[in-house]
Amino acid sequence: MGEPEHRSDIDWQAVERSPEFRELVRRKKAFIIPATLFFMAWYFGFIILAGYAPDFMGREFITDGLTVGYALALSQFVMTWVLGWMYLRRADRDFDPLAARAREAAEGMRAGAPGTRFRRDEVVTEDEEVRR
Amino acid sequence: MTYFASVNETALAVFAVVVGITLVVTYFASKRVSTATDFWAAGRGLTGPQNGFAIAGDYMSAASFLGIAGLIFLFGFDGFLYSVGFLVAFLTVLFLLAERMRNSGKYTIADTLAYRLKRQPARAAAALGTLAVVAFYLIAQMVGAGVLIEALVGIDFWLSVLITGAFMIIYIVAGGMLATSWVQIIKAFLLMGAAVVMTIWVLAEIGWNPLDLFRDARGASPEGEAYLQPGLRFTEPLDTVSLGIGLVLGTAGLPHILMRFFTVPSAKAARSSVMWAMVLIGAFYVMTTALGFGARAILGEAGVEAAGTGGNLALPNLADELGGELFLAIIAGVAFATILAVVAGLVISASGAVAHDVWSNIVRHGRDSEREEVWVAKIAAVGIGAVAIVIAIIGGEGLNVSFMVGLAFAVAASANFPALLLALTWRRFNTTGAVAGVVVGVVSSVALVIISPTVWPGPDSEGGAFAWYPLTQPGIVSVPLAFIACWLGTMLTTEPTTERSFDELYVRSETGLGAEVATGLTLTGRRGGPRTAAAATTTTIPPM
Repeated sequence: MGEPEHRSDIDWQAVERSPEFRELVRRKKAFIIPATLFFMAWYFGFIILAGYAPDFMGREFITDGLTVGYALALSQFVMTWVLGWMYLRRADRDFDPLAARAREAAEGMRAGAPGTRFRRDEVVTEDEEVRR
Repeated sequence: MTYFASVNETALAVFAVVVGITLVVTYFASKRVSTATDFWAAGRGLTGPQNGFAIAGDYMSAASFLGIAGLIFLFGFDGFLYSVGFLVAFLTVLFLLAERMRNSGKYTIADTLAYRLKRQPARAAAALGTLAVVAFYLIAQMVGAGVLIEALVGIDFWLSVLITGAFMIIYIVAGGMLATSWVQIIKAFLLMGAAVVMTIWVLAEIGWNPLDLFRDARGASPEGEAYLQPGLRFTEPLDTVSLGIGLVLGTAGLPHILMRFFTVPSAKAARSSVMWAMVLIGAFYVMTTALGFGARAILGEAGVEAAGTGGNLALPNLADELGGELFLAIIAGVAFATILAVVAGLVISASGAVAHDVWSNIVRHGRDSEREEVWVAKIAAVGIGAVAIVIAIIGGEGLNVSFMVGLAFAVAASANFPALLLALTWRRFNTTGAVAGVVVGVVSSVALVIISPTVWPGPDSEGGAFAWYPLTQPGIVSVPLAFIACWLGTMLTTEPTTERSFDELYVRSETGLGAEVATGLTLTGRRGGPRTAAAATTTTIPPM
């Protein structure tokens, strides 16, 4: 059995240049790049403090027994869950519909013939119609 | 103080129950798995939550369950650093790889590279990266299993390793990824259940105030305040940072974890499975606080000797202290299930590298039948399993388990992660860059571990043989080296075709256009086939 199938019927270069695809990638990057930089900074900030400032990390935080280090460690858990949840919400609301539109645009380019853009009962949305 | 004398019948009975359940699942799976997609990707029929549990089961090894509790027990706060890194790593997976792998891959991580690069060298490099990671990880787990079963049940080390290896091979050969996934799901339930029960029990023991965990642990440690501070295990600050790099990038390069994203029908299911996994894994690692600090608070300094090398037996000893023989047996059974699920996941990913990448696409140039590919995969699984059993028995208890797992993460972060990330995001990236990155990643991480003070001259000596390199963790050097190799290799050569094929991989990985579809396989039957897949991927183009 061979490689994952290549699809020669799709003009990938044209799809990559389509406004729909560019919009999807732009919106995804606008979330993923800052979010990645943030979690890396928060995590490595924590790790660097653990390595270079053990006394600071061992200080009492709010109450006896709880240290600054442990509180910061717990904040990493909260950060992971919150960022994960934010990403899922954004992906469901924004990225998936945009990806669907990019695929529809690809479909439109594929056959080139009019009508093929309307598969089954799908209708091209109004603003998409305007842009074409 | 001997907790474990001769064969422990209660533990043996619990082990039999665990193994019995997994064999029933394997039997169901064996009747349904037929195609290569069934064998390696469970027909892409798992739901997000199912795959989330399977990821948790695939990921949390004995190093997490027994190892982290043991490290916290021995070193306090430094042990908890592992818990944090192991969880945060999933953000790297979620943001950078999960959905893209699902959309672009078929059975192995090599698929993604081969999609746009020269196929044969790209596959060879990816197979090298996969096999290097699996080799260290698998042998660590097998040795861990042997040590654990010997200590807890009283079966000899070599026989324990042999039994573990035998069940691992049975799951894979009979039920492929479908059986492996369900073994992992069951294990995740058992592991979470055991952790919850133990956490509640520990809290009850210390009087329900979680802060008393720290206060009592501090009181029970001769280190006092220092026990709650970093620095007892990692004395070299740069080493701590290096460990962090290995953990947070390594997970995104573990072949058996990335492979799990091929088992769901869509990118949406892939990302929801990461979220499920993050909730489960995060909850578990929060509970390691109660397990590790609790073990210190309850067992005290007197428990150090009984906890063995690396503190691996601290948790079983705690179980024995809390609930006696039966509870100890249950915890031992859960630990056994934990190891079985992880080794099965590792071997199936290695079988993909051998059968799909090397045999099918390099040796046979993709001209073999699906039947042949699955057969080769099964033979490969038996072979890899046999080799692992032999090495684990010969290397024996002398091999340091947590060191081997750490090395596996470092190799994954250095060899697999840079090449995968760049293939998916950098247009200019080419075959030379990928091969250079993987080779430099594997060689540098392994070499740096060999010259590190823990290996050469040895763990108990003062300072390393190479004074200029005092680190035990290679990540801080080997990961940048691998990225530089990827970049240099790319810049020194030109491959116009790979730049063109970037468009296809890029569009496919971001939108799911043309992604592999599900066959509708489930443990109890087959759903509507491609129809389900189309609905799930919301692909507007019908499969050709």
